[in-house]
Amino acid sequence: MASKSDLLQGTLDLLILKTLASGPMHGWGVAQKIHVLSNDILQVNQGSLYPALHRLEQQGLISAQWGASDTNRQAKFYELTRAGRRQLADETRNWERMAGAVARILEA
Amino acid sequence: MRSGLRTRLRSLFRRDRLEWDLDRELAFHVDMLTQQNMRAGMAPGEARRLALRHFGGIASVKEAVRETWLSRTIETFTQDVRYGVRNIRRSRGFAFVVVITMALGIGANTAIFSVVNGVLLRPLPYADPDRLVVLRQHQPAIGNDDMGISARELDDYRAQSNTLDAISEFHEMWFILLGGEEPQRVSTGVVSSNFFNVLGVRPMLGRDFVHGDEQHDAAAVLILSHEYWQRAFHGDATIIGRVFEMNDRPHRVVGVLPPTTPYPSKVDIYMPTSACPFRAAAVDKRGSRMAQAIARMRAGVSLEDVRSDLGAIARRFANADPALYPPAYGFSATATPIADELTRSFSRPLLVLLGTAAFVLLIVCASLANLTLARIVRREGEMTVRAALGASRLRLVRQLATESTMLALAGGVAGLLVAAAGLDTLVTYAARFTPRAADVRIDRTVLLFSLGISAATGLIFGTLPFLVGRLSPRAPRCGRATPASQRLRTALIVAQVAVSFMLLVGAGLTIRTFYKLQQVDPGFRTDHIMTMRIDLNFTKYDDGLYERVPFWQALEQRLRAIPGVIAAGGAGTLPLSERGRFSNFIHVEGHPAPDTARHPRADVRFVSPGYFDALEQPLVEGRVFSATDPRIDDQPLLIVNHTMAQHYWAGQSAIGKRVSGDGGQHWGLIVGVVADTRQQLNEAPRDEVYVSMFERGYLSGNWLVRSNRDDDSMIDEIKAAVQAIDPDQPVDQFRSLADVRRASLAPPRLTATLLGLFAALALVITATGMAGVIAYSVSQRTQEFGIRMALGAGRGTVLAMVLRQGLRFVAIGLGLGTVGALLLTRLMTTLLFGVEPTDIITFFSVALVLVVVAAIACLIPARRAASVDPLVALRVG
Repeated sequence: MASKSDLLQGTLDLLILKTLASGPMHGWGVAQKIHVLSNDILQVNQGSLYPALHRLEQQGLISAQWGASDTNRQAKFYELTRAGRRQLADETRNWERMAGAVARILEA
Repeated sequence: MRSGLRTRLRSLFRRDRLEWDLDRELAFHVDMLTQQNMRAGMAPGEARRLALRHFGGIASVKEAVRETWLSRTIETFTQDVRYGVRNIRRSRGFAFVVVITMALGIGANTAIFSVVNGVLLRPLPYADPDRLVVLRQHQPAIGNDDMGISARELDDYRAQSNTLDAISEFHEMWFILLGGEEPQRVSTGVVSSNFFNVLGVRPMLGRDFVHGDEQHDAAAVLILSHEYWQRAFHGDATIIGRVFEMNDRPHRVVGVLPPTTPYPSKVDIYMPTSACPFRAAAVDKRGSRMAQAIARMRAGVSLEDVRSDLGAIARRFANADPALYPPAYGFSATATPIADELTRSFSRPLLVLLGTAAFVLLIVCASLANLTLARIVRREGEMTVRAALGASRLRLVRQLATESTMLALAGGVAGLLVAAAGLDTLVTYAARFTPRAADVRIDRTVLLFSLGISAATGLIFGTLPFLVGRLSPRAPRCGRATPASQRLRTALIVAQVAVSFMLLVGAGLTIRTFYKLQQVDPGFRTDHIMTMRIDLNFTKYDDGLYERVPFWQALEQRLRAIPGVIAAGGAGTLPLSERGRFSNFIHVEGHPAPDTARHPRADVRFVSPGYFDALEQPLVEGRVFSATDPRIDDQPLLIVNHTMAQHYWAGQSAIGKRVSGDGGQHWGLIVGVVADTRQQLNEAPRDEVYVSMFERGYLSGNWLVRSNRDDDSMIDEIKAAVQAIDPDQPVDQFRSLADVRRASLAPPRLTATLLGLFAALALVITATGMAGVIAYSVSQRTQEFGIRMALGAGRGTVLAMVLRQGLRFVAIGLGLGTVGALLLTRLMTTLLFGVEPTDIITFFSVALVLVVVAAIACLIPARRAASVDPLVALRVG
């Protein structure tokens, strides 16, 4: 999934949802944003990204629409749905709980 | 949320669009990568190459995406199915009702559709059936639709037509086949050697007829129909080459046909034209039109081309020989596609049945939707919980649709069993109208049809409650008895009542038709009369006057001598039987034809002297034939019926008047007038001329024996009487005249039975649905009733309130149903007898039945409402 660091199962979904929380974005943008926000640590492989986007779309967590990109080209933009927003909140809480637990174990 | 479902639906139905979108999406990504590389300073080609490499195999990315489309669909589907099975097991009662209702609805539709499929839809078992036409000559000016065709005329059509590839000839005869276990009367198709080639049917065993078989002195050969080969020889393959004797000549079997749709009619065996002694005697007479013609159109030629071609040839015939083609009668020739010929008389009853079955299915849908709605109300709690846990409304709808579709498919399978059980009866019924009945079976098309309509029904009744309810996605408590859902239930019930009323009217009309037919007095008695058929061996009874007449005379005497027999007589055709009558143009002395369009015709019937006595057909005037009547060649004796006597000689005696059947060359003398009888129950008596069977020698006869004994007990004695005259003479088709009459009523009876069954089914389903709706509304109003009763309303008042509510549905339904019925029953006119399609008695009594049944259906829940204990009702509230 990630080249420089392995991600837990389901983490990519969470990252995509989080990335989209700030507004509609195409697949390329999602990949770039994750890359930048993680300080170049996480690089999302297209072979994981697109299946994940389509899976989330089918689960009704994100919706897709064709629109014009910055360079004025047609691109497929993804957007969080209401269910996606709810899912993001749940998953974020889960993640924090999990990360906290792992951190506590490592610090013990 | 919706886009999710849309993608999945698309992934099932609009794959192309989805693929194209994916291509574009990935291409955009690669372009962006390329641009990034270019910004890093690479040359465009290099940048793109690197981008592609970095992207890591577009094909594999696509494959991974596609997997998500598919797996998601399958995953939720299996989830829905698993959950559905659990649900169905929890509510067995509901499942049982659905499956039974569906089984009846689908069974009715599958059975009727399998007939439609076999008769109308399946391609004919002939090569290029679209190019096959029936060639027919007619005389439009005198309403003669089919005058037959002679061998000479056929030769001319063959020589002159430039739109037909080949023309084949057919006529049907009865012969006696000797050499089997016992002498057998076989129906024989006498055909030109190209007959099977024109149809495109190849023998399954042995060979086809060849041109040489049709030569004048060729050895006689036979081809057996598949059905006769099975019936008489149990499918014995060594039959090829066996020799039988027929018409005093050896006939060798050269072939056996595969199972096929027989056209023009179903016969046991086929022989080439040269072997038929009748045709041989008439082959040179241009006016001896005993054959039918089937032709194959030239490829690329239209039906119109063929018609104008034939019309031109017919004009040449008429111009060349005005004596044979009287200009006043009009004369032309035309072609009709064979598929139309095969199904003409059956399309109407079939379409009425199909429409009826479709209506039954509508009612099934409405009723099950109603039931589902009621059930959702009960499942409201579960739905709310699932919605709270994050299930989308569409997901819930789909869950319900999956459940109902599973039930519907189970119902569909049960329906197939119902259809299979009823199919034999239907095939027998269809066989009275069309030879294609043999093609009726449950094949793949029928299977797909019934599973298709089952699934569709399930989808409709499973999701209709949601889709019509206009329920917002935010309020997945969809099943709650909102005003919307209650309105829907009412609308469904009203629709059911309306459709039931239409079905009941249709059934009522056909049932009344049947009773009217049954009450028709044919003008003769039908009880205690045994009938049978005898066909003399043509070669043995060669001479009419000196061989056949003595046989028939001896037979009449011997039959009458059987103990218990009161009278016996013979006739060319049995009254009320399905065999066609023989109608002829006549000249009546002193009544010149006013014009050719109204050229007088009469049915000509050949009877023996004992015939009228055997039937107790009363004599009005004069006398009947007598065995001792002298033969006067130039002036045969005639008897006419009352209708004919009134027609020409009202107010005077018909005795002594003269009628000619051959344009005035010979005149017959009327010696008696008999009372009217009906040859068919649904036809008024027509002009009839009776000719003595003993006047000329006829080869075939149906005989009637009236006795004071049990009909069946006489069969052996009758056989003995025949064999005492000629030990080789077969006699068969023993049937009581009452059976003949019953058989003639079989089609209307079965139509009435089927429509009646369908309507009864609709009525029961509707009544149950009504009871359910009223019961629910009563349970909702328990408190209200309690209060009313506490305030002094009596049981009667509450009962009346509930009844009024139910009967209001019925009234609206009846109103709509009446409009529908008035529009639709018109299509049934050809199926009716003695009743108008708008028969007020039927409409009224059917409405009464519906109201009574509905009232009973309402009464059950109403009584519960009326027995509410005010105290309990208020406390529950």
